[in-house]
Amino acid sequence: MTSYLELSKITKTYGNFTALDNVSLSVEKGEFVTFLGPSGSGKTTTLMIIAGFEKASGGAVQVGGRSITELAPHERNIGIVFQNYALFPHKTAVENVYFPLQMRGVGRDQGLRQAEDMLSLVGLKGFGHRHPKELSGGQQQRVALARALVFEPSLLLLDEPLGALDKNLREQMQIEIKRIQRSLGVTTIFVTHDQSEAMSMSDRIVVFEKGRIEQCAAPLDIYHRPQTSFVAAFIGESNLIPATIGSAAGKTAENPTLGAFDYAASDNVLSDGQAVTLLIRPEHIKLSRNPIEGRQNIRMTVETIVNYGDNALVIGRAGDIPMRVRVLGADVVIIREGQECCISWTPESVFVITK
Amino acid sequence: MGMSLSRLTEKTNIWPWLLLAPLGIYMLVFFVVPLADVAIMSVTDPRVSLANYQKVLTGALYQRVFINTFLTAAFVTLCCLAVGYPLAYLMAHSKPRTAMLILLLVTMSFWTSFLVRTYSWMVLLGNNGPLIAFLQMMGIEQLPQLLFTRFSSTLAMVHILAPYMIMNIFSVMKKIDPALIRSAESLGAKGWSLFRHVYLPLTAPGIANGSVLVFVICLGFYVTPVLLGSPREQMIAGLIGHQIDEFLAFGLGSAMAMVLLFVTLIILTIYHRRFGLDKLWG
Amino acid sequence: MNTFMRWAGILVVIFIAAPLVIVVPMSFSSANSLQFPPPGYWFGYYRAYFTNPDWLIPTWNSVIIATATTILTMVLVVPATFALVRHKFRGKSAADVMMLMPLAVPHIVMAVGYYSYFGDLGLVHSHLGVILAHTCLSVPIAFLVLSANLKGFDRNLERAAQSLGASPTRTFIHITLPILRPGLIISALFAFVQSFDETVVAIFISGRDAATLPRKMFDSIRQEADPVIAVISTLLFLLVMVGIAAPYFASALRSRAPKPSRPPAGAH
Repeated sequence: MTSYLELSKITKTYGNFTALDNVSLSVEKGEFVTFLGPSGSGKTTTLMIIAGFEKASGGAVQVGGRSITELAPHERNIGIVFQNYALFPHKTAVENVYFPLQMRGVGRDQGLRQAEDMLSLVGLKGFGHRHPKELSGGQQQRVALARALVFEPSLLLLDEPLGALDKNLREQMQIEIKRIQRSLGVTTIFVTHDQSEAMSMSDRIVVFEKGRIEQCAAPLDIYHRPQTSFVAAFIGESNLIPATIGSAAGKTAENPTLGAFDYAASDNVLSDGQAVTLLIRPEHIKLSRNPIEGRQNIRMTVETIVNYGDNALVIGRAGDIPMRVRVLGADVVIIREGQECCISWTPESVFVITK
Repeated sequence: MGMSLSRLTEKTNIWPWLLLAPLGIYMLVFFVVPLADVAIMSVTDPRVSLANYQKVLTGALYQRVFINTFLTAAFVTLCCLAVGYPLAYLMAHSKPRTAMLILLLVTMSFWTSFLVRTYSWMVLLGNNGPLIAFLQMMGIEQLPQLLFTRFSSTLAMVHILAPYMIMNIFSVMKKIDPALIRSAESLGAKGWSLFRHVYLPLTAPGIANGSVLVFVICLGFYVTPVLLGSPREQMIAGLIGHQIDEFLAFGLGSAMAMVLLFVTLIILTIYHRRFGLDKLWG
Repeated sequence: MNTFMRWAGILVVIFIAAPLVIVVPMSFSSANSLQFPPPGYWFGYYRAYFTNPDWLIPTWNSVIIATATTILTMVLVVPATFALVRHKFRGKSAADVMMLMPLAVPHIVMAVGYYSYFGDLGLVHSHLGVILAHTCLSVPIAFLVLSANLKGFDRNLERAAQSLGASPTRTFIHITLPILRPGLIISALFAFVQSFDETVVAIFISGRDAATLPRKMFDSIRQEADPVIAVISTLLFLLVMVGIAAPYFASALRSRAPKPSRPPAGAH
């Protein structure tokens, strides 16, 4: 039984450069999957291969059990929203939305009516007669979305569509896109380099790095159970401590300067003496003057305190290892820069990464 | 690269050639061949020899015409600069309305056929024209001959070519960040030294562009010198026309044309190496 | 510095404007020679122009030649520009420079070449000869304008159209062409004006039968300075004014910042 969208062993090379290396991925019908990664990681290239604008050097793409690898872009029935929206400047909003219907032979009257309905769905009732340049960024975004959805595509691709919007509008559009996607149940691939966007919108996140998929999992799993130190460092803030497994049975790891760490669990089978990386999220660390009973304590010298109002980031050093601690705004008053303090956590907060 | 069309191209790489072929063949047949014809005539007419070039390069008449052409082109370029720089400055530093009106005027002059402009100067400088009338009014007895002199053709060429200079300098000037000038002022530059050390270097690309363009066009200018200039002080293009038209001396005319072409291409090649040709006309 | 520049600028404005406006009163002059200010005014020379076949035929020739040149230029340049802007291939930069070469060659040099070459081909004194020659001279100008437009074209628009179900051909017809239309029109206009104004090549190859308006004007100025030239000058000037002012007003109505266009320079 194959999934709705199936990428199998996609590779893409430009001369000697490998842009995509053996990328395989399954997406279920109706899922909202986000491609996340730094620029040049291969996420956009993958999207372009799904859309048909780039030809893979190897591998296959299937949608609904049918191979589309050899199809031209216009035969694929895939809706795309581009980063710059790519609205046709010589057509009004409603004509833009009507365009895919026109290409499918839908008559003008019926097509325009359908386009108007779609515009209503994205909250642009009454804006149909305007040209793109007479619309705000957010409105253009909605037209682009309506245009990509009106022909009931088998797949919706969103290429960093929120990048050009300011922060407030971006949050509003995140909610809006999610609502529309749910109501239509369309399978969606969303490309972004913004992790909070990925976290808030996705059913699953695919993290790309250097042309490979680093990890593919639900947002909270990506955050709490990263499989590689790249993912741990890329998503959220992290303290990454190099260590070796002291005793796999006793669930302890050793760092030469900081000593022994207890951990609660790992997703991998570990063996004694194995080199690993320990992840402790800054918000899982408590800051205090004195050691706290029942937690693992080490001493840290505070170097910088960055205040955000409701919370603060305390940056310091434990031995030679830089540490970051996220504390509530009220708690930060107990320490000053240059002071020594105690930081502590529980074994449940320590996650062992093997790669 | 997009488009399945261009994907095909990446594989076969035949598309660009197919699209270019009609124009390429056309240019070969109707541009390269006639040009080659000039080159061939210059060494074969009336017989195969380099005699034409020897004549053109060493004959006193031809030398004088070449030197005259060069000096005229250089002088016209300087005049265009003297005329164009202040105007471009005025355009770049006056209110948008004024700037647009001047731009409109320059554009209009630019688009007006240079035959029309040449004719206008004939009227202005003619014996029954306003300038002579003005001189008469001032009580000047010995009226100078203005028309059909080096003066009239130079003046008209400056008028015809100045828009090239103005447009080029203006397009550079309006891109200068005012903050740059302010910061130079805050650093103590003012007046002449501000102009000399900040403004002038910033506008230099426009000056270079405009000057090369004006100089090169002026070198090969035919119509205005022929109509307004003194028959005794011809420029090279006029002389070429004369050889062909009057004497049917194709060999000699072609040799002169080749020398003119050679000089023009040398100047443009130097320019191309430094800035790129597409910028000159862009 | 500033005041000096200002006054110098004002003088230059007068220098540039005076010759442009002087032809207008001249065209209504009642004098039969170049006299300014005119002794009296009438419409005689307008009648002379509009009734004299010696003037009307060259005007008509120019219109035919410029129109044909424009069409031929666009047919050749549009595909070539797409090739040069959108594709990377070996020899592309050489081809780019080749496209501009006719601008670098002084017209008098080309005129000598055409005079001899078209003589051999039997194309002198024919419309076709002038059209073929003018097309060569218009190619670089049309190319410069069009390629600037095409470089600024957002390829995502075409990708979007294709993702929405338009085949490459339909994408070209429904999206690429309409969006490129202003660029195409301006580029064609430049080709037309270049041909309509071209004098040197026309003097040498158009002969009597295909004499263009500039050639006729040149001959006339050279021989007798017929005041009808003032009429033609006024009409041409008027045409330029309409051509330049119209886009100004159109864009002013749409409240967009206008930018007067200029043709790339040819060697006169």
